Amino acid sequence: MVETGKISILLAFAISIYVVLASVYGAKTNRRDFVKSARNGTVAVFILLFIAIISLLHSLINLDFSLKYVALNTSTDLPVIYRITSLWAGQAGSLLLWVFILSIYSAIVVLQTKNKNRALMPYVIATLGAVSVFFLFITAFVENPFEKLAFVPQEGRGLNPILQNVYMAIHPVTLYLGYVGVTVPFAFGMGALLSGRLGDEWIRYSRKWTLFAWTFLSVGLLLGARWAYLELGWGGYWAWDPVENAAFMPWLAGTAFVHSVMIQEKKGMLKKWNMSLIIITFFLAIFGTFITRSGIISSVHSFAQSDIGPLFLGFIAFILLFSFAMFLYRLGDLESENRFDSILSRESAFIFNNLLFLGAAFAVFLGTLFPIISEAVTGEKILVGSPYFNRVNVPIGLLLIFLMGVGPLISWRKASRENLAKNFLVPVIAAAVTAAVLIALGIREIYALLSYAFCAFVSMTVFTEFFRGVRVRSRRGENPLLAFTRLVSRNRRRYGGYIVHIGVVLIVIGITSSSVFVTEIQATLEKGESVSLRDYTFTYEGIEQYTTDAKNATVASLAAFEGGKDIGVIEPEKNVYKYEGNREINQETEVALRSTFTNDLYVILMNFSNDGSATFRIIINPMVSWIWAGGLVLLLGAIVTMWPEGRKEREGAFVRYTLGEKDSTVKA
Amino acid sequence: MLKGKLKFIIAILVIALGISYLVYGGVKDTMVYYLTVEELQQRVPSVYNERVRVSGTVVPGTINQDTDGALEFQITEDGNNIDVVYGGVVPDIFKDDVEAVVEGVYTERNVFEADTLLAKCPTKYESTDSLYQQQNYSGDESY
Repeated sequence: MVETGKISILLAFAISIYVVLASVYGAKTNRRDFVKSARNGTVAVFILLFIAIISLLHSLINLDFSLKYVALNTSTDLPVIYRITSLWAGQAGSLLLWVFILSIYSAIVVLQTKNKNRALMPYVIATLGAVSVFFLFITAFVENPFEKLAFVPQEGRGLNPILQNVYMAIHPVTLYLGYVGVTVPFAFGMGALLSGRLGDEWIRYSRKWTLFAWTFLSVGLLLGARWAYLELGWGGYWAWDPVENAAFMPWLAGTAFVHSVMIQEKKGMLKKWNMSLIIITFFLAIFGTFITRSGIISSVHSFAQSDIGPLFLGFIAFILLFSFAMFLYRLGDLESENRFDSILSRESAFIFNNLLFLGAAFAVFLGTLFPIISEAVTGEKILVGSPYFNRVNVPIGLLLIFLMGVGPLISWRKASRENLAKNFLVPVIAAAVTAAVLIALGIREIYALLSYAFCAFVSMTVFTEFFRGVRVRSRRGENPLLAFTRLVSRNRRRYGGYIVHIGVVLIVIGITSSSVFVTEIQATLEKGESVSLRDYTFTYEGIEQYTTDAKNATVASLAAFEGGKDIGVIEPEKNVYKYEGNREINQETEVALRSTFTNDLYVILMNFSNDGSATFRIIINPMVSWIWAGGLVLLLGAIVTMWPEGRKEREGAFVRYTLGEKDSTVKA
Repeated sequence: MLKGKLKFIIAILVIALGISYLVYGGVKDTMVYYLTVEELQQRVPSVYNERVRVSGTVVPGTINQDTDGALEFQITEDGNNIDVVYGGVVPDIFKDDVEAVVEGVYTERNVFEADTLLAKCPTKYESTDSLYQQQNYSGDESY
């Protein structure tokens, strides 16, 4: 099996090179057989990498410790499910997974575009092939997961126990699906630049891929936050850690791109901007993979110790230079077909949305790289911490939420006074009432007030849109429920987008509440003693220690009361696992979490002593669950926007596309 | 039309300036020097009461935890040691010999009062030396 895997990777590498060459040659010389053979090669690479993944999984499940990767990431006492997930626990496995996902996407692109656009597609296929050449080079020659050890150890090093958790099993894969997904719209953009077909086909063909990648990045970020919240035990879910920022930056740029392509589709504007944005988004996705995999920033080790560091930087430099050189070469063909008429218009709302997202991405980028930049410039390593990121991003975020309410209701081209009054009167009143009520309740934090008021504003604008749509249909005699479902299903992009916005509003409310109004207390208690926080009281009832096959557990019991009402016993734990993954962790703190829609009770057993006293940290985190609920709503909205269209719409689209093929200046 | 363009340029300028101002203020007020143990000791006394971040290896046998939650330990690098006191949540991977990163203030008693403690697995970035050094890997280490 090991040899099979090794050979598959080498073959995939060779075929990927062939795909790039054949595809470009076929396009240049109009040799359709070469183009076709490159397309077949793309599918072959997928099949080979599928075999490689299966071989590696086979070695992991059967604990073949003669492989370095298996010895480093598994152990005999590891349950089978985590032997499978250790496929992406280490560098070699993750990179193989990266390129495997890319091969799936590339094969789907090939199958989707069978007889479409013969001018554009060969270059798209070549770009996808070129990216996989790089990753396969690393996988085959630098970080090969099938590398053998000089000896066969009796036991592997095991998997870090904090990675042995359901969220950690799916969060990396979800993020990877997003990171890699960005490659597809990038390849279409490059295909447009290389072939000179700079109409909006590249955007239309890749629209769903963009949404798909964006959705997975969003969900991956939220899953990562949830994992940190449950597993790391410090009471928070986001710390502006370099690895978190690595995924957040492509998300920011990608969100800007998702919005700005609409302007190009509708108005033929922003062509240069969109092309630059997708290049930047792809750069940030590769850069994010690189940060995550090399540990360059958080690590105190010197950069040179990472084998793949210089290679990655070289690849990133190549992407940027090549893309922007092509971009400049085609600059003349990227002229807009329309002009901006007024600053009070939907177009300009989109422009500001984009500037703010990019500004945030830039600020996060600067903050993440600050130690490296400062060391290069001054010779001193200087860090900026969470306060920096919050100070910069919170105001930007608030403005973005405000725009999220403005964008959908303001008219295209130029908003008239009537348009503004008709659409915004009710939402503005809703925002003002919300702020007034909260001030009356005694809330004085300006950011929190603005955040809630803007959330009310956005919710009201979205509600207005749904309400009007349903009303118009109801007047034609549909019952409201039918009207609602038809409204959404016939305008999936628009209303799906609104549902995503509602999800974002819920997430913002959760983040605002939990970061502004969190309270905590730390107390050392003797048995029978109590501690109070807000309207909760906790009585320490003692500690229990027991041993199971897997662990030596220490469980503390706290009887909890909310406003005098008994809400049960809370049991935070500290465990020592017997099969100690990585054998580097003394103990694992298991947080006790009681979650409702108003509050999360988050209790940590910090330590305990032999005389029976114990130290607890108790955190009351308001409305954290809104973040996860918002994530589900966001996912639902994203699915609606991506849902395949019915036959009727397809026919209309087909007419538009075929016209577009002949003459991209004809606008449907 | 020119007036419209000018409005746009002004609006974009305002956004760019606003973000730049936030970045500038954020960096100025939150920057923290990242020093080695040796650099920290060289900068006495000017470093006293200035917020810094220091990394080093936890000296085996120096970890001492009071029941009230305060944790005392020493970190070392190239033979230079400093005392650290920390009162927050201790990461699970914190123990003898791990690479620890602390952030806080070095006081005039020559004790580092940390409010942030990060610990890193030495093997997090796949150093495989340990595997090669122990040809007879048995897996019953220190537990």
